Amino acid sequence: MTFLDFFTDPILRPSTVGCMLMCFASALVGVVVFLRKRSLIGETLSHASFPGVVIGVFLSALLIPFSDELIALAILCGAFLFAFLGLKALNFLENRLRVKADSALCFVLASFFGLGILIASRLQQSYPLWYKQALTFLYGQAATMTNMHVIIYGCFGLVILGFILYFYRYLEAVNFDPSFSETLGIRSKRLDEMMFFLIVLAIVVGIRSVGVVLMAGMLIGPAVAARPLTNQLPYHFALSGLFGVVSGFLGNYLSVVIPKGEYSLPTGPMILMVSSSFCFLSLLLAPRSGLVNRYVRMRRFSFQCAVENALKSLWKEERRSFSPLIRWQLKRKKWIDQSRHLTPLGKAAAENIIRLHRLWEVYLVDYMGQKVEKVHRTAEELEHLMSPELERELTELLHNPRHDPHHQPIPPAHVEST
Amino acid sequence: MNPYWGQNFFGFFVVLFQRLTGQLPLSQMASDEVQLLVLMGVALATVLLGTFLTLKKMTMMANSLSHTTLLGIVIAYLIFFAPETDLSINTTILFVSALISALLTTLLTELVRDLLKLQEDAAIGLVFTTLFALGIILVTVFTRNSHIGVEVITGNVDALHVEDIRLAWGAAILNLVLIGLFFRQWVMTAFDEKLSFSLGIPTKTFHYLLMFLTALTLIAAFRAVGVLLVLSFLVGPTLIARQWAHRLRPLLLVGIGIGIITAIFGVALSRHFLSVYHMPLSTGGLVVTLISALYLVSSLLTFRPSKGLMKD
Repeated sequence: MTFLDFFTDPILRPSTVGCMLMCFASALVGVVVFLRKRSLIGETLSHASFPGVVIGVFLSALLIPFSDELIALAILCGAFLFAFLGLKALNFLENRLRVKADSALCFVLASFFGLGILIASRLQQSYPLWYKQALTFLYGQAATMTNMHVIIYGCFGLVILGFILYFYRYLEAVNFDPSFSETLGIRSKRLDEMMFFLIVLAIVVGIRSVGVVLMAGMLIGPAVAARPLTNQLPYHFALSGLFGVVSGFLGNYLSVVIPKGEYSLPTGPMILMVSSSFCFLSLLLAPRSGLVNRYVRMRRFSFQCAVENALKSLWKEERRSFSPLIRWQLKRKKWIDQSRHLTPLGKAAAENIIRLHRLWEVYLVDYMGQKVEKVHRTAEELEHLMSPELERELTELLHNPRHDPHHQPIPPAHVEST
Repeated sequence: MNPYWGQNFFGFFVVLFQRLTGQLPLSQMASDEVQLLVLMGVALATVLLGTFLTLKKMTMMANSLSHTTLLGIVIAYLIFFAPETDLSINTTILFVSALISALLTTLLTELVRDLLKLQEDAAIGLVFTTLFALGIILVTVFTRNSHIGVEVITGNVDALHVEDIRLAWGAAILNLVLIGLFFRQWVMTAFDEKLSFSLGIPTKTFHYLLMFLTALTLIAAFRAVGVLLVLSFLVGPTLIARQWAHRLRPLLLVGIGIGIITAIFGVALSRHFLSVYHMPLSTGGLVVTLISALYLVSSLLTFRPSKGLMKD
């Protein structure tokens, strides 16, 4: 099966497109929640919507048992209502009853979900078919989506996208500096309420395909994956949306392709695994803040320090042996020759480091008022982190001193030695 | 023949009293009595842990565990190569799966937070959803059946065995002993982690122990009452007790009392609904709803709108 089949095949298309739309919506909203540091709210609200789902199924089973579209809509309305109630309960617990955030989240989750299970158990005996339908929302069921669902989700997705585009300026201001945006006349409370409204909307759309239990992950995943790759809010939104769409598609694709038709992997968990893989890859490999890069930068710097310290000890003519790697680096920079003596270039570089070290010592004693006998250790670290500009300024500030606090001569400044 | 058949709420207690005063052989316990004992054991085990979890602001980690125990169980079963008969009966598998899920969840969350530098809320959410999804996928792959474990969430109180009493009370006694033995250390780490570390208490060990015990209790209880009821027991009674008790020992006692009372009332109400309205309701769901209702009442009784510093 090729990628294209998933968009043309009448059975595969609704679930693929539906999942992609739903992931897109939750990825956009996820950015807002992530920046607010309230990622776990999705977990609570998706569970809180469960009684609404059950009641929606129950009522539509009694009143309108024929129309699938109306039932889908009834379920959406019920889920929306209860997720919203859950949000209100959460705010009330936290703000009025002064319950700690984590306990409030956990308690609202358990209470609402328990209510849902209580109502569902009432259904179990009298309407076993509907009971099953309600339970599919626990783990999600993407495969049975129809074109009608796609249209409904498309509309919701558009509402969310439109809201974010229209209120973008306000979102930016409120997310980064709530009190400053208050002074600009933005009523952040009102905006907060609208944003949480969006969260509820995204959750209600999402539970159909990934299920109540995994919905939280869909809010978190794409936003987390996008964060290390950019520092700008518009790109964060765009990348997160992209990750959402791609994981929606790949999750569907893999759940069909991997088992080779013998059985089918559940779509919701597969989508989540894809988006989590993006997260971990991005957290590991991101250009600036990824773990691998941070580690490499750290190692490189400590190697540089080791090489410079080796150079210094050669200059001071201490008899020390160095590791082959350091010797190789010294040779590569043409700081030592074949017989392991300093070259003129090496001498200049060493004097530069010594100069930096002693300048720092003067500065620490004269300007920071530190004890003379204590400054050596600090200078030992500072000597490795200096730019030519900083050196120039330090020289000017200290009036180009000749001696350091230990009465040792400071080598004169060289012309740029690399 | 179940002696509780057809009894309403009050009749339940009358029959229970008669049964308790007469002889009650363990092999002939009615299903209601098994339910009662299991739920009481679970209540005792969870409220004990829940108090400390709430004080340490770790209840969302308990929520994580409630999801990741699935993966722990799957891995334990793969290790022991056990036939998938009745989950959670075998004590060794129980311990191993609790250990795996507690370690995986805690270590991974900390790793993502500290090493990958992700903010805490997102780290918790990312880790548990990923592990849970992995658990579901593994179950599907190994059983070739994607319709798993609704019972993991809701529990199935009707299918309880005498064995479940042993598990629930085993967990309760283990928690009671471990918390009783190191009570001072638990209290200190719950209130001031840095101070207790400086006094030489291995706070990390206690942190992991708490997570392990929570996972163990979850696994011991989930077949009977579902992970959800355990979560509710973990937070609800403590939150209610905090409105009335302001010292730790009373807090624990009131919390446990509330847990056990709601357990008893839940079973009685479940019987009542079945006898009077012919409605078979999930006992777990009933207990959760009872706890929430009790919290509502308790909040109304203790709520003082003008207690804060600023008055509107």
